[in-house]
Amino acid sequence: MIMADGISNLCNDLQVDPQDIVMLVVSWHMKAATMCEFSKQEFVGGLQSLGIDSLEKFRDRIPSIRSELKDDQKFKEIYNFAFGWAKEKGQKSLALDTAIGMWQLLFEEKQWPLVEHWCQFLQARHNKAISRDTWSQLLEFARSVDPTLSNYDAEGAWPYLLDEFVEYLKENGIIQQKGRVLDLLGHI
Amino acid sequence: MSSQKKRNFQIEAFKHRVVVDPKYAEKTWKILEHAIHEIYNHNASGLSFEELYRNAYNMVLHKFGEKLYSGLVSTMTSHLKEIALSIEASQGALFLEELDRKWTEHNKALQMIRDILMYMDRTFIPSTHRTPVHELGLNLWRDNIVHTVKIQVRLKDTLLELVQKERGGEVINRGLMRNIVKMLMDLGSSVYQEDFEKPFLAVSADFYRGESQLFIESCDCGNYLKKAEKRLNEEIERVAHYLDARSEVKITNVVEKEMIESQMTRLVQMENSGLVNMLVDDKYEDLGRMYNLFRRVPNGLTSIRDVMTVHLRETGRHLVSDGERLKDPVDFVQRLLHIKDKHDKIINLAFNNDKMFQNALNSSFEYFINLNTRSPEFISLFVDDKLRKGLKGVSEEDVEIVLDKVMMLFRYLQEKDVFEKYYKQHLAKRLLSAKSVSEDAERSLILKLKTECGYQFTSKLEGMFTDMKTSDDTMQGFYAAMGHELGDGPALAVHVLTTGSWPTQSTTTCNLPPEILTVCNKFKTYYLGTHSGRRLTWQTNMGSADIKATFGRAKHELNVSTYQMCVLMLFNNGDGLSYREVEQATEIPTSDLKRCLQSLACAKGKNVLRKEPMSKDIGEDDTFFFNDKFSSKFYKVKIGTVVAQKESEPEKQETRQRVEEDRKPQIEAAIVRIMKARRVLDHNNIVAEVTKQLQTRFLPNPVVIKKRIESLIEREFLERDKDDRKLYRYLA
Repeated sequence: MIMADGISNLCNDLQVDPQDIVMLVVSWHMKAATMCEFSKQEFVGGLQSLGIDSLEKFRDRIPSIRSELKDDQKFKEIYNFAFGWAKEKGQKSLALDTAIGMWQLLFEEKQWPLVEHWCQFLQARHNKAISRDTWSQLLEFARSVDPTLSNYDAEGAWPYLLDEFVEYLKENGIIQQKGRVLDLLGHI
Repeated sequence: MSSQKKRNFQIEAFKHRVVVDPKYAEKTWKILEHAIHEIYNHNASGLSFEELYRNAYNMVLHKFGEKLYSGLVSTMTSHLKEIALSIEASQGALFLEELDRKWTEHNKALQMIRDILMYMDRTFIPSTHRTPVHELGLNLWRDNIVHTVKIQVRLKDTLLELVQKERGGEVINRGLMRNIVKMLMDLGSSVYQEDFEKPFLAVSADFYRGESQLFIESCDCGNYLKKAEKRLNEEIERVAHYLDARSEVKITNVVEKEMIESQMTRLVQMENSGLVNMLVDDKYEDLGRMYNLFRRVPNGLTSIRDVMTVHLRETGRHLVSDGERLKDPVDFVQRLLHIKDKHDKIINLAFNNDKMFQNALNSSFEYFINLNTRSPEFISLFVDDKLRKGLKGVSEEDVEIVLDKVMMLFRYLQEKDVFEKYYKQHLAKRLLSAKSVSEDAERSLILKLKTECGYQFTSKLEGMFTDMKTSDDTMQGFYAAMGHELGDGPALAVHVLTTGSWPTQSTTTCNLPPEILTVCNKFKTYYLGTHSGRRLTWQTNMGSADIKATFGRAKHELNVSTYQMCVLMLFNNGDGLSYREVEQATEIPTSDLKRCLQSLACAKGKNVLRKEPMSKDIGEDDTFFFNDKFSSKFYKVKIGTVVAQKESEPEKQETRQRVEEDRKPQIEAAIVRIMKARRVLDHNNIVAEVTKQLQTRFLPNPVVIKKRIESLIEREFLERDKDDRKLYRYLA
């Protein structure tokens, strides 16, 4: 098993920040079960599938691995993978703090203007763990619903947490009923 | 030579060798012409029918039919022209009389003429496609009399004028009218229609338009309707007396349109006398009249129904939001029943039990009863009141009537599960304090609820009754077995309640007095001896006790709650006890203890304890003394507080919360049932199906349904479809 220290060393060797999102992508290739841990099978199997057999090659491949996030389909898979990977073993849901951290990381790559508001909303109103369904539906929401919520469909079978988020945005004047965004990116 | 003759021999038709006198036709015609003149001059008696007939017959036979026919036409025409002059000359009222007389005469003459000319009618006329004599006579009359310039207009005007006079209240010669109208009808239905009916309808429309304008300004609704009805009946009678029956529907349409349809809205909404006033004042006759008149016009009844519905909803809404009324639940329900009875009676007596109105009444009730979320509670309290005392001494049939009325209100409730919860609570109190007026009545109502809602609804209620019966048997067994051990300790009566059936209570602490504790423990031992594996918990907040107490020289028997008993027994061993001492000794929860002490020390006529200071509320620094100055004119004094009451705000919230909690598993069960059957279904359809399945108990909130779906996704009963996120799949 490679544990946290081992991973730290690996990152050093790769000249990559352990917090770098590319590690998530790597973990995805390795089908790692939990963050900050690689079993021997996962590690070896993952490198084989990537066709990497030396540290050099690994280092060189980092940029291209990182760019995989740009692909929509792959991003979706990585995003959904992240839920299972980031949560505690044996738990069904993802702890709120971890979830928020993950979201902030992921949506740096794939810009979503409402991510900060989403995290604030959760901390103010929800304060509980995040279910898998909510996690995966959030990506759909971010992708399909306009940041001004102009095409938000109340009958759209969104998880109730997302419905509450929309309410929250409207209540706090972040989104006006007509869909004009006020305080979103600091300018209208 | 003879053979040639034979070949040329032909058989020829027999010829009647009559010498045809060239003047023959003229002579014959003259005879007939003369006859026609005589007939018209009322001198027919001198004529010989046989001779005239023979003459006519011969003319036709000798091929002079044409001359005969045209002669007839011209002779008749000239007579008619004369007649026309005489009719035109008559003055005023004599005009119609003269017309009528001449018409009658003409018909008589025509009949005779036709009889004379019958041979021509049957042979010459059909073969030449001419108009038969009778019809000819009518047509000539029409063209030469009725449709002459002078007569046509005058006739129409005269007839219409007479109708108007009659409408104005004058008496006219109806027989004469009938004859004239019949004449027009005989001349052909187009003559009747063009010369009379059409103008008649047009003039009537104008007349009734004017009438309606006049009346609507000067009459209230009831009187207007009376007038309209009167006019309608008049017209129907007019048709029956002297018009063509087929005109009835046309003229009634005119009256309906001008007097009713055009003023419909204004009538219904008339201030101080319109529909709403009639409803409020139970004006059955006026309402019945309105119903009968309005059903004749399109949208008439729907406009009544719509205004009635709005009024009902307003009335109901007002009642259920009126703070004053809501203070007394029994009175509130009584008023609901009153409104229902009142309108049932109206629909029965005035609206012909028309289903449309019954439906409007039902939908309005359903609307406003559910506006007030406390309706289920109040209806249960009403039932409670009836079953406690209201139905005392009432006959069986009348009991059924009251219970049926309760069921009727129950059906309107959307939140039937809330009713169930309250009903259970109130029933529990009734059973435990043995305060039910009649067990038959209780059972009857439960049976009705079962019929309405199914076995599930009432199974627990029935369980409560069973527990009561079983407890009686248990007590008998207890005393039989342990009677000797108990000696003259306090007499115990225990009701053993099955936890699932009775309303959930939180168990509270309470220290029972030692004498009570002893006998209670004996019971517990006995019971658990015969029923192993069970657990008994004393529900000290639901019990009651009868205590004999001596105040000075007066003895009284006090009926108190268990808590009150515990407090009172303390005073056997000490007096002047502080609140804290009482609290410590009994360990009764604070709010219950305060309420208990309040009923013992602060209630007028029931203050078996004295409190210092004498304030109304219980303070934690108060001291309590046994009040040996207590007196009452009754030997038995009731101080217990186990009557069902309207809940306080916090209690209400708690009950509502419990109801919401109970609904969650029901919703989930419905979702699972539906998904198991359908396998794949989209969100909106699930919500619709769930609502449909549960609507006999309550109306589920779509947001709650959504949360339950998500919970089921968490627990892997369902999943979202990979491609369509609005679709859910059942996971086996």
